[in-house]
Amino acid sequence: MSSRKIVIAGASDAGFKIALAAHAAGHDVTLVDEHPQALKDMSFDAPWFYGAGLPSALMNDNSIAQSVLEASPQLMECIEAGIDVRVSTVLWGAFRNGPNCLHVGRPKVGLVTREGNEILEHDALIIATGVRDFVPSFKGWELPGVLGGKAGLALLDLYQVFEGKRVVVLGSDELALRVVRSARERGVEVAGIVEPGESVVAGPEAAAWLAAQDIPVHLGQVIAEAIGKTAVTGVKLVSLDNRPSEEIACDTVAVAIATLPNIELPAAMGCEMHYVADAASWIPRTTAQGETSLEGVFWLSDAGGGNGDLHTAILDRIGGAERDSRVTAAPSRKVSATGYITSWIDALHKTGGDDVVLCQCETVSRAEFCGLAPPQYLGKSLRHPQTPLNHGDDATAPRINQDFMKRMTRVSMGHCQGKRCRDEAIFALSLRFGIGLESIRPASYRFPLRPIDLTLIADDDETDDIRLNWQMWPYETRQG
Amino acid sequence: MQSYDIIVVGAGILGLSTAYRAQKAGAKVLVLDAGATAYEASSRATGYLSLRGETPAESPLAQEAEKLWDGLDDELGYPTEWTQKGRIWAALDEHEFADLQKLYRTFQKTDVPFEFLDGATMRKMIPCLSERCLGGIWTNRSGHANPQRTSQAFGWAFTDLGGEIREYTPVLEVLVEAGKVKGVRTPQGEIHCGNVALCAAAHNPLLLKPFGIHFPLAPVRLEALVTTPMPPLFEQAFIGNGLSIRQTKRGNIHMNGGPYEWINLEIGREAAKPTTQTVRNIMRRAIETMPVLKGAQFLRCWAGIVDIAPDQMTTIHRFDSPEGLVTAACSGHGFGMSPAVGVAASELLMNGATRMPIEQLSLDRFRDTPSDWRERRRWEAGQYNT
Repeated sequence: MSSRKIVIAGASDAGFKIALAAHAAGHDVTLVDEHPQALKDMSFDAPWFYGAGLPSALMNDNSIAQSVLEASPQLMECIEAGIDVRVSTVLWGAFRNGPNCLHVGRPKVGLVTREGNEILEHDALIIATGVRDFVPSFKGWELPGVLGGKAGLALLDLYQVFEGKRVVVLGSDELALRVVRSARERGVEVAGIVEPGESVVAGPEAAAWLAAQDIPVHLGQVIAEAIGKTAVTGVKLVSLDNRPSEEIACDTVAVAIATLPNIELPAAMGCEMHYVADAASWIPRTTAQGETSLEGVFWLSDAGGGNGDLHTAILDRIGGAERDSRVTAAPSRKVSATGYITSWIDALHKTGGDDVVLCQCETVSRAEFCGLAPPQYLGKSLRHPQTPLNHGDDATAPRINQDFMKRMTRVSMGHCQGKRCRDEAIFALSLRFGIGLESIRPASYRFPLRPIDLTLIADDDETDDIRLNWQMWPYETRQG
Repeated sequence: MQSYDIIVVGAGILGLSTAYRAQKAGAKVLVLDAGATAYEASSRATGYLSLRGETPAESPLAQEAEKLWDGLDDELGYPTEWTQKGRIWAALDEHEFADLQKLYRTFQKTDVPFEFLDGATMRKMIPCLSERCLGGIWTNRSGHANPQRTSQAFGWAFTDLGGEIREYTPVLEVLVEAGKVKGVRTPQGEIHCGNVALCAAAHNPLLLKPFGIHFPLAPVRLEALVTTPMPPLFEQAFIGNGLSIRQTKRGNIHMNGGPYEWINLEIGREAAKPTTQTVRNIMRRAIETMPVLKGAQFLRCWAGIVDIAPDQMTTIHRFDSPEGLVTAACSGHGFGMSPAVGVAASELLMNGATRMPIEQLSLDRFRDTPSDWRERRRWEAGQYNT
């Protein structure tokens, strides 16, 4: 088997494992991961939702790097094995020849760090980008102290800079329980768990453990508001059956409802996607060899990507085995993320009202979004009310196009590239217009996968060919 | 059997503008599109109105469009973000400066008040413009708007009048009987009508080919990008250093230009529109042009497909045979032209003639264009950066 250049995007558990396997098989491996992110990038809340209250200890790059190495034996193992590991590196784009694009040459990924950028050529790309936080809107969700479950775990365990003393956790599935355990291990008090359902989602054993630890579980309730003037000082809850609302004092609200796969890379590359209800996401269709519709591009999901047999199949395929075009089903989960997220959003939107800001970057409320209101800076309204529903007699056509909603309302068009609000936006449309999630065309993902300073990425090695042949569009009228 | 007075093929800005005018004039109009509204060239557009100093034969129509732009928000009832603050062509090097001086002589053949300015005067207008700017062309006329909002404004104004848009319904064939248009064929069946307007960019030639009609249009893929919002920097429609650079009302800097790739289209198929690492070169040029953009962040990029005629001009043509057929395409500046094209195309369909100045824009000018013009021009699919 000949050695191939393999780029692995994402030092998730699956990413580490296949990096080691590929290296052991003699391939030339580069493993890229965006963490630890620059403080500015963390503030965009992608992939992990840190919110507006980033601890100042994060500014100490050296101690953060040390903490990460201590907390991640797999990272240490990869480095010691001699794998080219690039941390704090954003893979911002991937480019390859394909229809209407014949001049890229060998497949390329664009990498960027705080110092500069590099275009890296490769034979195969393995996407193991893991998951990101799902954080729905509620009143006060922009306050410092509101953060996502993954971000909370990163601050607690990975960077060890968590500043909160008393946390309320939203959600009661595995992720929420992990946050509760980590918080308590670090001496952070858990003031309560909030769950719209009638029981703890993680199961009776988890419920019993919570009871034994004296952690209050607020069933049949959701958050009405994160209270506080400049930072969170408490939460106000609201019950789904109109019981009086409760207030709990806390300095942190950990939104640990669900995570969603980081699909922006395969989606922006044009991999064929399908809606998987269990994951509450569109994910790439893959073959038994983990290969997407694009040759040489592989997808390892967070749910099933750690499987060693799959890694062997992928590496065989990269080594030259025939493409096995049988498409595999996505691994199923205990709890359907679609059902669970829907229950949260339905409850939050029914109890929270229409004036809650859905899109933080562009300050657009739920009502403005669903009513297609023009952005406020235009100071204009629509002459007649309009609907996002597509009409036609093609039964297979999407009924709502999220890109259209984006363009009209600017929801998901801001600094965070829609990472905070695009998923809630789809669920809200589905609930309000009675359209199945799979019938909504999700907003396109575009490169770059994270916002990047122009100076970091602007071409500094432009060839004469590009410079001299640059076309002055549209008034170039040179004749052949 | 469904029947319409007019079927418009293509829910881009030209199709929607045509449909709006025709519906307003009393016709029963249906718009069909292979994909979603304003998803092809209309989503790639920079958003400029060009008064066509480059191609003076089109300038009278562009100036009619300008008059319509000034009242468009009120006419349609939906905001377009039309901004009338003039337009600049700036040269950043001697080569570009010489090109613009030559081009200026062409510009002067129009009756638009173009002026040639030095670099210092240009920097007074746009303080963030590079010291390297040597000068260029300026007019206080023309302007820019938001392409997606404008397309949708036409779309909504059209449906407000009772017009109908069906997305994801590709037209596979124009149906003709006894020399007259009788409808279109879609995957969902035939739809009948008395007239068809082909406003489907480089799909037009494919749909006209069965009638032995040669409409020379070449599709090309171009790339564009947008930054995070910046403080207000400039309001003019800016062209220079190989880029179009526009600051939107929200503050984002929108830019495009550079290498492009000639492609082929298929009937009824949404074309792939990948982006490439070329965006890095666009950013480099943007920083050269306006150094302040160093402080901006690259937010997203995309590609679009534009249809170009050999002379890079607008075409509006009414056919004698088959009867009831009109086509329009604008070589990459259809956004600005669209209000006037809509009036012209709808009038041609409904009255057989138009008050718009389109005498020099018919297909007749391509009578002598050889069928292998794309190869000769090196504009055939796969050619890049030529």
